[in-house]
Amino acid sequence: MKRAIAVAVVMALAFAASSAIAQETIKVGYLAALTGDWAAYGQTELKSAQLAVDEINGKGGVLGKKLELVPYDFRTRAEDAVNAVRRMIEQDKVYAIIGANGSGINIATAPVVNRAGVSQIGTVSTNPFVTVDNDGKVRPYSFRICFTDPYQGKVLAYLAAQEMGKKKAAILYDVGNEYSQGLREFFIKSFTAYGGEIVSDLGFRGAVDVDFRAQLTEIRNSGADVLVLPNMGKEMALTIKQARELGMADLLIIGGDGYADFMWEIAGSAMDGTYWVNHVAPEDPAMQPFFAAYKEKHNDECKEFVNGVLAYDSVYWLADAIERGGKADRKAIRDALENTKGLQLHHAVLTIDPADHNPKDKDAVILECKDGKARFYKKVRPE
Amino acid sequence: METLVQQLINGASLGSVYALIAVGYSLVYSILLFSNFAHGGFLVIGGYICYYALRSLGNNIWIAGGLSLLGAGLSAVLTERIAYKPIRERTNITLYLLIASLGMSIVIENIFVIVVGGRFRALPPVIPTDPVHLFGLTTTSAFDLLSLAVAVIFLAALQFFIAKSKWGLAIRAAAFDLKTAGLMGINVNMLISIVFFVAGMLAAVGGIFLSVRYTLYPQLGAITIKAFVAAVVGGLGSLPGAVIGSLILGLAEMLTAGFVSSQLRDLVVFSLLVITLLVKPTGLFGKKPLEKV
Repeated sequence: MKRAIAVAVVMALAFAASSAIAQETIKVGYLAALTGDWAAYGQTELKSAQLAVDEINGKGGVLGKKLELVPYDFRTRAEDAVNAVRRMIEQDKVYAIIGANGSGINIATAPVVNRAGVSQIGTVSTNPFVTVDNDGKVRPYSFRICFTDPYQGKVLAYLAAQEMGKKKAAILYDVGNEYSQGLREFFIKSFTAYGGEIVSDLGFRGAVDVDFRAQLTEIRNSGADVLVLPNMGKEMALTIKQARELGMADLLIIGGDGYADFMWEIAGSAMDGTYWVNHVAPEDPAMQPFFAAYKEKHNDECKEFVNGVLAYDSVYWLADAIERGGKADRKAIRDALENTKGLQLHHAVLTIDPADHNPKDKDAVILECKDGKARFYKKVRPE
Repeated sequence: METLVQQLINGASLGSVYALIAVGYSLVYSILLFSNFAHGGFLVIGGYICYYALRSLGNNIWIAGGLSLLGAGLSAVLTERIAYKPIRERTNITLYLLIASLGMSIVIENIFVIVVGGRFRALPPVIPTDPVHLFGLTTTSAFDLLSLAVAVIFLAALQFFIAKSKWGLAIRAAAFDLKTAGLMGINVNMLISIVFFVAGMLAAVGGIFLSVRYTLYPQLGAITIKAFVAAVVGGLGSLPGAVIGSLILGLAEMLTAGFVSSQLRDLVVFSLLVITLLVKPTGLFGKKPLEKV
């Protein structure tokens, strides 16, 4: 009797092992803030990435194998992100990682992924140090799909000074956020080069402060004709709402890619007349099938569309790299990512600069908020 | 001058919302001698009830507000029954209650994250937020004036309830000595439920106003940490202290941010807390345990 049980157990184990081999997938880690202040962005990213994975698997997968997402929540905390990335690499044995939706997080996880030799693709991580170290040397396993903050800062300055003809700028930025700090710094550099002047430069603590009326009162008295907000959606929307409540109706307000549609929910019609530098236009015809599929699958609008689109295309980029690399191998994937040239994704054509792992010559989109919606205004590539 | 007046108004309106929340902390502390950190959760519950009521029952702020106050009050009572009552029946060490309340605050926040999602939600525009020009001196939002007025009304009503009603008398007796009050025939469990109900209702009022001002999301309750600091500065257990402490804190925040540096605002707030604890640990109006409420 005992022997019979032992045989059964061995057979069951053997069966389980063989079926595990038959179902082997290419595991891809996904790092996103699924709770906390950035949850709206992170949840959209994960849903969009899952959509791309389902589509790719539906067409037979990559190299005959199915992709499998392994999601982790970093709760907007760098230490959680580092632990999550370690677990993805050591326990889950992922082949590559997509995320996070924040530069500071990618900078924190960069040493881990580069030591382990697992490529990480930042979706909306625009800080330069995501892909290069402090000496400007490229981090071999760090990539991004979005353009960078220096570029975005320049676009913002170009928009304010050249397109809108404003020469007195006020900035309100998040002192604890690398993205915000970087964008502010690069804006100031370019804006003064265009002949503008910074008349007010004030900070706040992100995720803690929700009341900006003290700073706005000061900005109102500084004589600024444009207010630049290099921040995340919640803070920017609250700032805009409070500015209009304080009677600052004519002040031009511009900002970067922290824009999200949920800001309308917070600020309402106060959003009208604001302009945003962005990666993606929601009206882009190439993205309409994605938005429709997203709505059908999740029964919800893809409100954080930049995150959605970039997460979706990151999966397609990675799938293409695995295909080109010819095998499910961490090093081969890295080499293929680095050698991406003229790849037609849904939102853009992607060419990666091997010197810094940034996309080359991507157009920036300017969105104009009008009549309850962010509309495509124009594409720019500042000189 | 114009700037100063503007910052004073900004500070007073912020302080008035803190006051509604701080009073809840003080009420519970005065009876059970612990700080109920789940208080921020009741604020979030009140905000969401108001949001969904406005959405589904037509934009009637009176009905939605009433349901919100009732709902948050009942949740506070329920929280006390589930999490605190079993503990206080077993031990009189209030530290356990404090820890339980920290746990409950996380539980409530995460229930909302899971059930309604992390998205920001704005209440339909039932409360006006248009700019109001005050005597040509300064500009403020209609909302700021309204929140100041509502806070004053609710706090006055609370003061009246405690000073004049039979249950108010019982609360004062219980704050004096809970055990003895029980021995004298006061239904202690009922009394504690009433205190939690009132604290929950006030949190809901704060929650509605904070939701209009900063929109609604599951982590909105985190703002209560400032209200808690205000309650401590004013003197935990003292209702006038909670109000004064809140105004001091609101003004300190705005004046620091406006005239010194916006980055120093939290530094100033928490330094105020430390200084208070060093110089006068009972807070400005904190009395000896015998004279609370």
